[in-house]
Amino acid sequence: MPSAATLRARVESSLGERLSSTLLLRERTAPLTVSTGVTALDTLTGGLPRGALSEIAGPASSGRTGVMLAALAGATRRHEVCALVDASDSFDPASAMAAGVDLERLLWVRCSEHANAPRRKGKAPRTAPGRLNPRTTRNAGFAFGGVLEQVLKVTDLLLQSGSFGMVVLDLGDIPAESAQRVPLTSWFRFRRAVEPTATVLLLVEQEPCAKTCASLVVRLEREAVCACDSMAVVTSLCDNSRYESGVAEDARTCPKSSPTGASQFSPARKRWGKWEIDPSPVGAAQVHIQALLTPWRVVAHGGPEVPENNVVSHAALLCGMRLRAEVVRSWTQRKPVQSAGISFELRAAW
Amino acid sequence: MFACIYIPDFPVEAIVRAKPLLRERAVAVLEGKSPLTRVIALNEKARLLGMETGMTKLQAAIFAAPEAKGPAVLHQRSLDQENSAHSALLDVAHAFTPQVEDTATDTLLLDLAGLERLYGAPAKMARNLASRVIAVGLEASTAIAANPDAAMHAARGFGGTTVIPTGKEAQRLGVLPLQVLLDAFAISPQKNSAADRERGKQREQMLDTLERWGVRDFRTLAQLPDHALASRLGEAGTRLQRLARGAGMRTLALCAPPSRFEEAMALEPPVETLEPLSFILNRLLEQLCARLETRALAAQELRLRLQLERRVADEDTTTVRELEVNSHIVGWATFERTLRLPVAMRDTKVLLKLLQLDLAAHPPGAPVIKVWITAEPAPPRSAQRGLFLPITPEAEKLEITLARISGVVGERRAGIVHLLDTHRQDSFRMERFVTAPEETKQAEHPTTSDIEAHPQLALRMFRPPWQLRVRVAEGRPVSVSSLPIQKDRGELQGKVWWSAGPWRSSGDWWAENAEQGSAAKDQARPWDREEWDVALANGNGKSVALYRIYRDLGNGRWFADVSYD
Repeated sequence: MPSAATLRARVESSLGERLSSTLLLRERTAPLTVSTGVTALDTLTGGLPRGALSEIAGPASSGRTGVMLAALAGATRRHEVCALVDASDSFDPASAMAAGVDLERLLWVRCSEHANAPRRKGKAPRTAPGRLNPRTTRNAGFAFGGVLEQVLKVTDLLLQSGSFGMVVLDLGDIPAESAQRVPLTSWFRFRRAVEPTATVLLLVEQEPCAKTCASLVVRLEREAVCACDSMAVVTSLCDNSRYESGVAEDARTCPKSSPTGASQFSPARKRWGKWEIDPSPVGAAQVHIQALLTPWRVVAHGGPEVPENNVVSHAALLCGMRLRAEVVRSWTQRKPVQSAGISFELRAAW
Repeated sequence: MFACIYIPDFPVEAIVRAKPLLRERAVAVLEGKSPLTRVIALNEKARLLGMETGMTKLQAAIFAAPEAKGPAVLHQRSLDQENSAHSALLDVAHAFTPQVEDTATDTLLLDLAGLERLYGAPAKMARNLASRVIAVGLEASTAIAANPDAAMHAARGFGGTTVIPTGKEAQRLGVLPLQVLLDAFAISPQKNSAADRERGKQREQMLDTLERWGVRDFRTLAQLPDHALASRLGEAGTRLQRLARGAGMRTLALCAPPSRFEEAMALEPPVETLEPLSFILNRLLEQLCARLETRALAAQELRLRLQLERRVADEDTTTVRELEVNSHIVGWATFERTLRLPVAMRDTKVLLKLLQLDLAAHPPGAPVIKVWITAEPAPPRSAQRGLFLPITPEAEKLEITLARISGVVGERRAGIVHLLDTHRQDSFRMERFVTAPEETKQAEHPTTSDIEAHPQLALRMFRPPWQLRVRVAEGRPVSVSSLPIQKDRGELQGKVWWSAGPWRSSGDWWAENAEQGSAAKDQARPWDREEWDVALANGNGKSVALYRIYRDLGNGRWFADVSYD
């Protein structure tokens, strides 16, 4: 009795000319990747795959925008033309410039619920389709439906035009339940559109919504926030959810901080906008505010005594965040990675 | 060696150029106000039907009746279309040689000296010229002869392409009717109506005289005795005889190439919808691009002007007053749009799509009765990209994409952002997106050192800022809630778990006392604010987000303008 391999070889030889594409198993080659702009994330994920859809998900203040700008900065540094589809018109050009994004190579599309609203108030004009008269566009549907509709249309247009090195969809301020109502067919269409190109399609959102259409899904969480004041006091805010257990009354450092604690944030004298901070060495005093349910506790480590209330000091400024990234889905492995995660920091530009 | 390009029935050709389907039909062009409207030009098919120049409109209407066999098309004369056709003809001639005489609206003379090595034999040159004229939508008679007048007579007298060898002028021109000679004789290079009338009168007198003598063609006139002719008709008679012999030689009065690229078309009846208007725009753009191509140019800017019917289409929403104050509408019956292109281009499809998208976004508001399209010429883009440079969007394709995106998100909401040199928060201006200039050097791939080990903390803006109700205790914000009027934007409320501040900033106070309406007053309004960084707990307190809130010290109101992310 012929073996399975022999049978297969016979079938392939007889039908191969007509049905070659059906019988031959296509080997999916590993996609080319580009840097995310964050070394730790590159180590964790292997980079953002070209010709694929990648997602960066996380709640507010979890560093999604910082990572997005780092990726855009890397792309523009490679002289690629990028596009940012901004669903909530929340892009800050100054942050982008500080992050190293070449704004000359970035197409910023500002979507808005009211972008195509009627120009004149009062009675709506009588119009017919295609007539050379003023017309109106009505956005109906679920909350943020008009904006999402714009985002999907614009993304379609950008992917069809091709030749963009990176197309970013920023849905960071769109509620997760609204974003997840985007039909899966849209994401599938985007994946198919981007597949034969060298474009990186990056989706920034609160919760992953592209499901199986995404080749890479990274979830970000904030571990700690560091603030420094004009008296060179560094403050670290740690989320209670992470340190809820085992909270001691005495002084303690943030367990997920870097070995040197918050003192490693060393703000330099940089002018950005109106803010200018004292460049005096940081670390003379450290204060860790642990984010317990209520109230937060203020614990001092030497240095000036800090009153036990919310007051840290006068004019304290944020100088960085410590984030944790976790790979939810990756093109390198078929099954979701269970515990792959890494911590890294975002530093303030000021 | 000289060449002549002659367009028979020029007013008809100018109209047929814009409507090529009319070429298969009998067309008569009318001029004058009713009831003195007369036929001034007609094509060969109209002549075969029995139509003649000078017919009244009523007489011509018999041939245009639907029950007539192959009904003729009556069209009002369009001087704009004739000017466009003449400019196109000049473009063709100047693309061939810089030495061109603008002899008449329908006639151009070209000096071909030294062009044999470039274009080949005279016969080949004549065919080349004819094909170039056809490319701009006109049908011409071309002739080449040793002197300009002989070339002109040959072009006007013979159809198609004619080449007269040197020395054979009298023989070849001899068969032409005297009408051709006198028509050419009446042409005055100087555009002077008084001189034209005088020459026309002289032409009529001479034609009468010569017909009474029995002189009806060039050959007969050429054979008349010189002295006898001079004594009877004077210097003009001698000149006519010299021309009939094909012996006249003169210097061409050279003209400059046209600097204006404009195509126009009058619409009968008025066009009310975008779709039929697109066909007309397509035709005009094809003509314009063909003209630009003959001159090796492209369009850097496109201006569309529409003359609107004298009524407002939508009386309910658009009044004449509104039309007058609208910046897009010049006057009350003309609508103008300008497309500034990032790169010079002459692709008809791309330009048409851009115009369509622009008109869809900015409809004129009334039926259109006349269309003008003007192109600002510029040298075409010559791009030589490097092999190892990253690909960038094709300029033409990108322009259409941007126009489509603007149609989706609105005007000036897609482009490049430029930061302004000011301390005011969120100060920038949007500009048109163009791909960065071609880099000659190889793309720099980031090295490990280029990649930021610690990426930057970023801000997310709230545009416009959320107006808040903030409870303050001991000088610090302790709880925040958004005003009910902004509920459609979502929720921004909760207990302030942590706060840092205040950080005070102010600016542009120097513009406060600036004169009303001055530039400084318009550009900047003073601001004075007290900023706080706050950590707000949403819901059950498990998710904490960082915001920047500020109190406007001018009016005491609180706002949130930034979230840290």
